[in-house]
Amino acid sequence: MAEHGDAQAALIPFLQYCQEQDGYVTQQAVSDAAALTGITDGEVESIVSFYSLLFQHPVGKHIIHACRTLSCMLGGADRLHEHIRRRLGVRNGETSADGEFTYQEVECLAACDKAPCLQHNLQFHYNVTPEEFDRLLETWRAQPAGAALPAE
Amino acid sequence: MATFEPVLTKGVGQLDLTDVAAYRKNGGFVALEKALKDMTPESIIAEVTASNLRGRGGAGFPTGKKWGFLPKDGRPRYLVCNCDEAEPGTFKDHMLLEQTPLQLIEGLILSAYAINAAHIVVYIRGEFLEGYRIFMRALSAAREAGYVGDNLLGSGYSADILVHRGAGAYICGEETAMLESIEGKRGEPRLKPPFPANAGLFGMPTVVNNVETLCCIPHILTRGAAWFASIGPPKSPGPKIISVSGQVQKPGNYEIPMGLPAGELLQDYAGGLLPGRTLKAIQPGGGSSAAIFAEDLHTGIDYDSLAAKQTMLGSGGFVVMDDTTCMVRASMTLVRFFEYESCGQCTPCREGGQWVHRILRRLEAGEGSDADLLVLNTINDTLTGTNLCPLGDSIMPFLLSVLRRFPQEFAEHVTLAGCPFDPARRMVAA
Amino acid sequence: MSADRPAASRRMVNVVIDGSALSVPEGTLVVEAAKLAGTSVPVYCYHPKMDPVGLCRICLVEIEKTPKLQIACATRVTEGMVVHTSSERVAQARNGVLEFLLLNHPLDCPICDKGGECDLQDFTMSYGPGLSRLTEPKLHKPKRVDLGPTIVLDEERCILCRRCTRFDDEIAQERNLVVIDRGHRSLIGTSDGGPYRSYFSGNTTEICPVGALTSKAYRFRARPWDLTHADSVCAQCSVGCNFRIDSRFGRIMRTFTRENLEIDDGWICDRGRYTFNYLYEPTRLRRPLMRRGDDLAECSLDDAAALCAEKLGPAARAGRVGVIGGGRLSDEEAFALQAFARQVLGTNNIDYRVHLQKFASPARFGARLIDIDDASLVLMFGAYTPEQAPILDLRLRRAVARHHTQLMYIGPYRPHLPVEAQYVEYTPGAIADLMMQLADTVHQGRTESGDGFVADIARRLAQAEKIIAVHNGRDPASVSALDRLLETLAGYNHRVGVLVVGSQGNARGAEAAGCVPNLGPGYAPCSGEAGMTTGEMLKAAADGALDALFIAGANPALTFADGALARRALENVPFLAVAEQVLTETAALADIVFPTASFAEKRGHVTNLEGRRQAFGQAVEPPVDVLSDAEIIALVARAMGHAESVSPQPAALLAGLVRAESAAERSVGDLLPRAKVDAVQPAAVEKVDATHRTFTIIPVPHLYSGGGAVAHDPGTAPMRPRPYAIVNPEDAARVGVVPGERLTLSGSGGSIDVEARVGPQAPVGVALVLADMPEAPANKLLDASGFGTATISKAASVPEQRSLERVSA
Ligand SMILES: Cc1cc2nc3c(=O)[nH]c(=O)nc-3n(C[C@H](O)[C@H](O)[C@H](O)COP(=O)(O)O)c2cc1C
Ligand code: SF4
Ligand code: SF4
Ligand code: SF4
Ligand code: FES
Ligand code: FES
Repeated sequence: MAEHGDAQAALIPFLQYCQEQDGYVTQQAVSDAAALTGITDGEVESIVSFYSLLFQHPVGKHIIHACRTLSCMLGGADRLHEHIRRRLGVRNGETSADGEFTYQEVECLAACDKAPCLQHNLQFHYNVTPEEFDRLLETWRAQPAGAALPAE
Repeated sequence: MATFEPVLTKGVGQLDLTDVAAYRKNGGFVALEKALKDMTPESIIAEVTASNLRGRGGAGFPTGKKWGFLPKDGRPRYLVCNCDEAEPGTFKDHMLLEQTPLQLIEGLILSAYAINAAHIVVYIRGEFLEGYRIFMRALSAAREAGYVGDNLLGSGYSADILVHRGAGAYICGEETAMLESIEGKRGEPRLKPPFPANAGLFGMPTVVNNVETLCCIPHILTRGAAWFASIGPPKSPGPKIISVSGQVQKPGNYEIPMGLPAGELLQDYAGGLLPGRTLKAIQPGGGSSAAIFAEDLHTGIDYDSLAAKQTMLGSGGFVVMDDTTCMVRASMTLVRFFEYESCGQCTPCREGGQWVHRILRRLEAGEGSDADLLVLNTINDTLTGTNLCPLGDSIMPFLLSVLRRFPQEFAEHVTLAGCPFDPARRMVAA
Repeated sequence: MSADRPAASRRMVNVVIDGSALSVPEGTLVVEAAKLAGTSVPVYCYHPKMDPVGLCRICLVEIEKTPKLQIACATRVTEGMVVHTSSERVAQARNGVLEFLLLNHPLDCPICDKGGECDLQDFTMSYGPGLSRLTEPKLHKPKRVDLGPTIVLDEERCILCRRCTRFDDEIAQERNLVVIDRGHRSLIGTSDGGPYRSYFSGNTTEICPVGALTSKAYRFRARPWDLTHADSVCAQCSVGCNFRIDSRFGRIMRTFTRENLEIDDGWICDRGRYTFNYLYEPTRLRRPLMRRGDDLAECSLDDAAALCAEKLGPAARAGRVGVIGGGRLSDEEAFALQAFARQVLGTNNIDYRVHLQKFASPARFGARLIDIDDASLVLMFGAYTPEQAPILDLRLRRAVARHHTQLMYIGPYRPHLPVEAQYVEYTPGAIADLMMQLADTVHQGRTESGDGFVADIARRLAQAEKIIAVHNGRDPASVSALDRLLETLAGYNHRVGVLVVGSQGNARGAEAAGCVPNLGPGYAPCSGEAGMTTGEMLKAAADGALDALFIAGANPALTFADGALARRALENVPFLAVAEQVLTETAALADIVFPTASFAEKRGHVTNLEGRRQAFGQAVEPPVDVLSDAEIIALVARAMGHAESVSPQPAALLAGLVRAESAAERSVGDLLPRAKVDAVQPAAVEKVDATHRTFTIIPVPHLYSGGGAVAHDPGTAPMRPRPYAIVNPEDAARVGVVPGERLTLSGSGGSIDVEARVGPQAPVGVALVLADMPEAPANKLLDASGFGTATISKAASVPEQRSLERVSA
């Protein structure tokens, strides 16, 4: 996009790429992004902090985004979330003690007909019951390490 | 039972419409081939205007009119596709992106040709990773097949499509916030005027259109404006995808003719309520819309009929709630959404949303007071209509509609010091 | 400035605001139109100097025929508009916004620095909610966030109006202060929580409508209603910003902008704002000092004056006396100083110039600061406005950002500028030649055809409608070549102008008052033979040809280019009297030191770089034995039996100066005569063959350098840089310089220790050394040209921390 306007249009794609490499937007990535786009480190951080899919701090290898908005709530999201928190030993927004799982309750994921739904590293899982979650958890644990949020 | 023959979703679920050949077999690219050979940009705009197509992104602005606003001053123009769908209860663009991306591409090229756009940008919500991958594959297939790129079908018109992935912010669905986001900034809505038609992306004239709006274009051009305008009420005609969710038998996306009574959608398409339940409230147009109730089921699903009921068609997210649902909790969930997604520029939206959310949490936890109810009943006057963008004005409509309809339910949360629906589990964990 | 806005065009439209009809230019913002109608609409995010953003929503008003309330700060008037600014609906909306803002506000007004002048407090009083509904428990955010050397931030008080971040973006264009996070979680902050470093930071505390941003220099010291105000003018640099000094019980508490659109546009820099607490430090001189062997001991004013008279008298009679100073005095005092030299001491040996500046004013094409606003091209050489004239630089930044002014910087090293600029690398000695070439190219109309960078610059000049040159008056050759170039351009109907950045705050005033050896007040040629320049006086003193020097408000030991010569002179001269506020490097060598009053402690006039004479008032009384320079000069004159020659009264002195000036005006012809120039011409910077460790030394200015007030002020101390030298990465690799290590630079006049820095702004073979740092006086390495050479080696002394470790081990 940079070719169309100014260099700053490349900022978010660049940050997404950095996050894919490092798991989150490191201070180095902030400086690199600032140098690339001609804005200040402060401005980069301001922008990073605005977007919920850009992380300013280290996160787990597995990121669980569980929808908490109305349709999912009507479909039993509260019960699911309580279960997930207990299973992972975390509160909303936290990373499990082993550093593997970051759990975040998020807003409507546009899959309301398959409530409650969640995303694991941006992959959808639909109609998730607590039992289904436990099963998923086992498969995730068995997965090899990779970028948490693939940027493409 | 449903008799309407689907237009936008024809073949969805049966054919692999991400495949160029399959899409063509389904009637795809006919409009594009016809338009690039036989139609001038002006005649396309005229056709779209005549069809009375209104934007499917929520505001319902007539598409042909929007295109006509572009100043004729020779500056390069941008067409931006809004695929940032995040309105609570809405999941139609998500489906269109994944199931029939070539239809979107065809609509994009046609619209770009019509407004003579120099560049096309598709803003895909960051969470739609799978949709993004599908779209990119479809895009390169379309490019290979000569439907995207230079000198399309020998017409001399060139158009390429750039894709920007969102990074997590509902407010970027608001068109000026989206432009800021594409420019690499915080997604904060701009002060208007100037409007995007005059000063949009990188300060250039810009049109922002919703995915579903763009998907309508090929059909209008193949089957004619008159056909389109004849579906449903003349002032808001056409096929419309409604995302039905909540407490119904068969949640899902349903393509209906505009104007279909809400009750028919609920009964005939979505299979009705769960056994033994009665209807309590429906949010007919996404999380920003006020509720309608059992007595409103005859209301047609279209812009004007719903507006007459003090609510809106909005994005077409149709969320059904039955008698087991606590209205305090439902409102709290939605207000929390707006609180979390507010960009924070405006005082009323930023502070008011947060205040109302705290009050509802308190009520639901059994710690509310009469003073809290008083605030809920009066805060609309200062919270709604005082903000820079429509998000701030979306916090109250649902809450206010159910508060007016079920005042005793709210009061009970105070007198019982807890939620009457689930007294054992004062909700709000986290 | 309103000119930055989509122009409020000339066409007038009729509007009715709260029942009163008026006619205002079409496009005026409703909020501004309301002011004209005598109504005020409350605002938080709106600031007349910045683009409207419409965030806070406090300014909602009712406009007939528009269903929704509209924001007065971003809505423009149209013909027939009827506005209600205090209807029921408006009152309700306002009330609502205030209620929302107060919801999580800590309401700690009694301990808030803004108490008494806070817009949240004020508007709540005038329009606000009964606090009854605000029983909500407060959400907490960080309080007392340390934002760096000058500012403390209270996030709980912050109402997120973003004036501060927008100031840093739109006005300072530095963009380091930003909004972090979103929604009600938003915070004001910096990258990685680092310090907010800006020469303009103090302005944010003024424009913050609440007590969220406060100055460290002022925190919890006084309440606004207890303060006494005095209108003053900053004399820290030659821009001459207007400001107000607020004091309490005779002590300065803070300073505040006093908008003068043509000079400061309502801003002041942090050096101007914060340099006042040195007055209350023990290092501030309060008693006269007299030399007793190696020491200076306190004495009485009379004794000091008597000794001066005793030593100066014979020296004057022998014609072996000199006077240095004037650029840090008021106009009246500069006049008094030269009168003292000429009439009391009978010599033309008087010079205000201690830096390399030769002229403080342009001989032709004098420009005003506001000429920068619509300049098409600004040509800067020698002067470096970001460090030497910050508020002028702000004007320049805005012109570049808003009016597409091109900034062209010619000099020996790449400057660090916050706005886009074209950099032309050129050795100072060759700039005259460049100007001549440019003049020829323009004159011969070769701007289109020629190639090479001279033609390229000439082309830009030819295409520029209005050209303003900014220089430092150092190099007479380049200045006269510039005049020729501008004359040529003016001949082709370009508008041209020149601004000379003064080396001292009142350099131009001193020059005009006659503190130069060949010109009297008003640039009239002085009677008798021209006297010696500062360089000549120092040379003579060093050689034993002068018996006495009187120095007022100058520190040649640190700032004169040839530091070795200056120190030799000051050590050798038999009698040295110095008038100063703190014990500078020069005062420390004196036989008599008079403590002098600061600008806040006297009144008078100063003349800024554009030649504008401005009055400043007295804010506080000086300590008992501290006199103004005028009083000191009069005291010494009286002791010498010349009571009538020099009055101590500012009014009388000004009258004398004005009389002298008007007489001079009649006698001076077309061109103002030039001040006498030192024999030494700036040499071309010879780039030393870069195979060994010898480097060309170029001193670089810094806003907080100098050995005077700023060096002793607790407010500015944290902002002072540590002495450093920057070398090119290539050189660093070649001679093994590591950033951060200590280096010793050894030159002709001695050696200094500095911190090593590596950066591309230093050309190969050059070390850029921070100038005027008392800890490491760069002038030890320089000669009279202002440049020098030095060899670089690793410092022998072990860095401090390590030696401490060793002690504790
Ligand atoms: C808070 C907010 C969120 C919005 N989100 C979306 C969205 O996700 N998708 C969309 O198409 N339009 C959204 N809109 C509407 C857009 O601003 C814009 O009106 C629309 O994209 C125009 O396209 P249309 O004319 O084709 O409907 C949103 C508006 C607001 C105020
Ligand atoms: S209404 Fe809310 S989301 Fe919209 S601009 Fe204002 S604060 Fe941001
Ligand atoms: S710190 Fe002050 S100026 Fe900055 S946003 Fe907060 S209230 Fe406004
Ligand atoms: S720019 Fe100069 S005159 Fe203005 S405040 Fe700063 S130091 Fe003082
Ligand atoms: S509410 Fe959960 S996906 Fe929409
Ligand atoms: S002053 Fe108008 S919105 Fe802030």
